Amino acid sequence: MENTSTSVNIRNLSVDFGNTNAVKNIDLLIRRNELFVLVGPSGCGKSTTLNTIAGLIKPSHGEILLGEEVVTDIENGIFVRPQDRNLAMVFQDYAIYPHLTVYKNIAFPLETRKEDRHNIKQRVEDTAERLEIKSLLDRRPKQLSGGQRQRVALARAIVRQPKVFLMDEPLSNLDAKLRVNARAEIKKIHESINATIIYVTHDQIEAMSIGDRIGIMNKGILEQVGEPNEIYNHPVNTFVAGFIGDPPMNFFAGELVEEDSTLYFKIHDALFKLHHTFKSNKGDIIIGIRPENITILEEGIANSLQANITIMENIGKEYIIHLELPDSTIAIVTVIPEQAENLKIDQTIWLDLDGARAHIFDASNGLNLKDKMK
Amino acid sequence: MSSTRFDKFWEIYNSERLRRGLLYLVLIVMVFWILLPLWAAFVTAFKSQQDLQTTAPYQPSPSPTLEPLRATFEIMIRPLFNSLTFTIFATIFSCLIGSMAGFILSRIQFKGSETVFLLIIVGIFIPYQAVLVPLFLTMARLGLINNLLALVITHTAFGIPICTLLFRSFYEEIPESLINAAIVDGAGIWRIYRKIVLPLSTLPFIVATVFQFTNIWNDFLFGLILSSGINAQPASVALSNLKGSQVALWHYQMAGTLWYSLPSLLVYFFLGKYLMRGFMTGALKG
Repeated sequence: MENTSTSVNIRNLSVDFGNTNAVKNIDLLIRRNELFVLVGPSGCGKSTTLNTIAGLIKPSHGEILLGEEVVTDIENGIFVRPQDRNLAMVFQDYAIYPHLTVYKNIAFPLETRKEDRHNIKQRVEDTAERLEIKSLLDRRPKQLSGGQRQRVALARAIVRQPKVFLMDEPLSNLDAKLRVNARAEIKKIHESINATIIYVTHDQIEAMSIGDRIGIMNKGILEQVGEPNEIYNHPVNTFVAGFIGDPPMNFFAGELVEEDSTLYFKIHDALFKLHHTFKSNKGDIIIGIRPENITILEEGIANSLQANITIMENIGKEYIIHLELPDSTIAIVTVIPEQAENLKIDQTIWLDLDGARAHIFDASNGLNLKDKMK
Repeated sequence: MSSTRFDKFWEIYNSERLRRGLLYLVLIVMVFWILLPLWAAFVTAFKSQQDLQTTAPYQPSPSPTLEPLRATFEIMIRPLFNSLTFTIFATIFSCLIGSMAGFILSRIQFKGSETVFLLIIVGIFIPYQAVLVPLFLTMARLGLINNLLALVITHTAFGIPICTLLFRSFYEEIPESLINAAIVDGAGIWRIYRKIVLPLSTLPFIVATVFQFTNIWNDFLFGLILSSGINAQPASVALSNLKGSQVALWHYQMAGTLWYSLPSLLVYFFLGKYLMRGFMTGALKG
């Protein structure tokens, strides 16, 4: 199969709906053949961005290039119609044409492009085979399960050999177990067809597991772009830090102090040693630390935080312990079941924070203070 | 409080069986009430002139005859054919145009689309009488008096508003992603309409067809003023001419009525069950 895929270059893109700015000045380069995930809470503008790339929404300003081809350039009055962009899209509700058979559904984009009938048959059957739905070609959408419909939607996209695949929450309507399989499936398809895929989801685990690179959006702003590891280990601000990771990162208000040329962060009266250098070395900060980097102590030691257990959730491989500090800050810690056996609700315990894995954010604007050089 | 007669009454009243019985009784009375005129028309259509004097209107004839049906058939056949022609064409045109307009107005935002929709909808509230004179003058100038085309045009025009409204509200329930999928798949607006929207429109087409067919078929006023000879005379006008000038020819009128109601009854008979579904379901689910 010839590879028709291209990069997607978005420059200074904004979308306004009336007085709401759904997307604000986004710059983003999606590389050829990469699986790029746009993730963010609902209403963050990720689907709007996707629809704008598709041409279903006309932005207020900005440019979009597919490879070298300018498909949107508002300042210069260029706007290529969606039907002329040669993109394929997979929708959350699959958007399978209910009155057409599976075969006709997959063939629809080819028939629209007036392809040769014999060629259409060949390609539909090849694609159906690849997605293991060849036996369903004569069925109607009503007779299919959710997972099968999802495959039909994927087949209809793949059969096109488009420049870019746009996927708008394609797995959200599947139940949890099917979703994990379908996730792997999409990754597999991506590797086998080697295409550019832009994938929108609100599920950060999905984003982490599937994406070559991830873009995190919030309130119309692209907060951070990077590989999953980079985003997990080096979040640029408190939003990204809190959004990625499950259970989410804990945040404590504190301050940076320097004693004997060693840097500590101080929460209440407890000091925790830091192992990095930072853009600033004193003042009010927010300490972010993931649940797995906090240790629960049953006896208080120097430089630990006292807390009360409020809820214990057993999820099998570990316990999620919800805690409340005396200043009513909420914290979440995960522990292995063996340790959880000694814990109970309302028990007072102490927390030891792993300073080496702490993230330090500016209290005024939430930006990560970590010195990138180090 | 001990058991009183009132309690007993409540007990019986509350029993499911009695309530059901009462309900059916009321419904049966209503069915009789509604069907009685039809029954009268039916029995009278088989009466001779003599039976008219000797039997009550709701009483079947002791010696039924086909003569009134035969006689009125000869008078009504041409007008029935006329009516059928313009009703079918006007129904098809108004449904098709209404469907296209409804699709565009439900899916495409253009400058003034709301205004266009409102202006079309205003047509629903224009009474026939208000346009009689200008309509007659226009058709006369076009040389279309006594021509079925005049009735096709008029009824199509008057049907478009209600059809547009009906189709638009139906199309608004088609998931947006379905239309977007077709756009991204490369389909233009016309292809989307023909390949996606139209095949999904069976229900609204049935509702609109039944509604338009009976409406146009039952029209008397436009038929009366736009035709003066037999060439374009609708069945409704021919029926009213059956009433006789000296004596009331009830048996002829009723026989003509039977002929006249036949097409409408057939439409209901074949499309009725879809009609209920069309009224009740929002759109396409699943």
